[in-house]
Amino acid sequence: MRGLLLVPYSFVVLNLAAVAGLYYFITGRKDLWSSNRCVHARNSLLRRP
Amino acid sequence: MEIVFWSSLIFLAYAFFGYPLLLAIAGTVARRPVHKRPIEPAVTVILASRDDAATIDERVQNILDVDYPREKLQVIVSLDGPSNGAGELAEKYGPEGVEFIQSHTPRGKAAAINAAVARATGDILVFADARQTFDPAAVRQLASNFADFRVGAVSGDLILENGRAAACGQAVGVYWNYEKMIRAMESRVHSIVGVTGAIYAIRRRLFEALPDDLILDDVFTPMKVVLSGKRVVFEPDAKAYDGVSCCAEAEYTRKVRTLAGNYQLLARMPVLLVPIRNPLWWQFTSHKVCRLIAPFALAALFISNALLVGGAYYAAFFVVQSAWYSAALMGRIEMNRRLPARGWTAESRKAA
Repeated sequence: MRGLLLVPYSFVVLNLAAVAGLYYFITGRKDLWSSNRCVHARNSLLRRP
Repeated sequence: MEIVFWSSLIFLAYAFFGYPLLLAIAGTVARRPVHKRPIEPAVTVILASRDDAATIDERVQNILDVDYPREKLQVIVSLDGPSNGAGELAEKYGPEGVEFIQSHTPRGKAAAINAAVARATGDILVFADARQTFDPAAVRQLASNFADFRVGAVSGDLILENGRAAACGQAVGVYWNYEKMIRAMESRVHSIVGVTGAIYAIRRRLFEALPDDLILDDVFTPMKVVLSGKRVVFEPDAKAYDGVSCCAEAEYTRKVRTLAGNYQLLARMPVLLVPIRNPLWWQFTSHKVCRLIAPFALAALFISNALLVGGAYYAAFFVVQSAWYSAALMGRIEMNRRLPARGWTAESRKAA
């Protein structure tokens, strides 16, 4: 049940990101690469057959 | 004010429900199947990364482990900027035919990809990111779509695994599943408007050099392919695996970058907004442009509704909207409760 709260949350975050994306585009900030530091399960994924 | 309210509501209903519904109908009445068959063209897998060599070591091995004839598989690792351990990595994988390119200064992902493509010899280019892993059948599944001469590029399927970040994983997963559903339907009708950057393939002759400051190669490249008259399709059996970014900040940053990239793309390729020039005009505007307008329509809907709240129907709708945003706020609190503030680092995973 609590997981259902994450649907409106993710919807709002997605839309906020669109506004922030416009700001980043206008101000010319363009970081291309995503960091590996904050990702789950990478090690287990690498062991996937 | 009523005009603002109703036009915002209709727009949002179309963007999030109407478009997928129309796609589903179009996929039924105007389906264009891809004539796949097992083929083994020469393939070049390109891994562009700015990470340290140690980080991509296992990833290179993962690419070498795919089920594809080794003599038809060229692997190029393009490192963007100085990378610790690159020499050791080249020594380790050089004998296996892996080629390494390294720029002395960071020049960005687009430049790293361009450098690798210049060295590529395969008829098909497969692009990979450092963070994800390929399913062993991924390259073979991608290649099979190129048996259809109308296909210019193929996107694989990125499977997100929640790992221990269950809350964030659910939130991201909901969006990602919705996105993949739309891509699958777009592919059935004609083409998808963006590929998955972690796993996609393109005919080498169709590749156009990326502008150095490009943010979204995974939208720029497929749209170029579509403008050249070929299809860009989705192959759900070509799988790559990824962990969900465990902290909300990381996922949010990724989204911001993606959406900023869409704005950049519109500025660089205004032809995409011209119906007679872009065969995917309907899909592009409905899928990409509407998403950029949606937050402003949501704000207009909420404000106009607040000003119209005197009417019974408008009051009821305002209660629904307020409940929705309250639920979003509670979702944020719930996620904070379940997750550490800054997420899991490699060190904290080991400690756990």
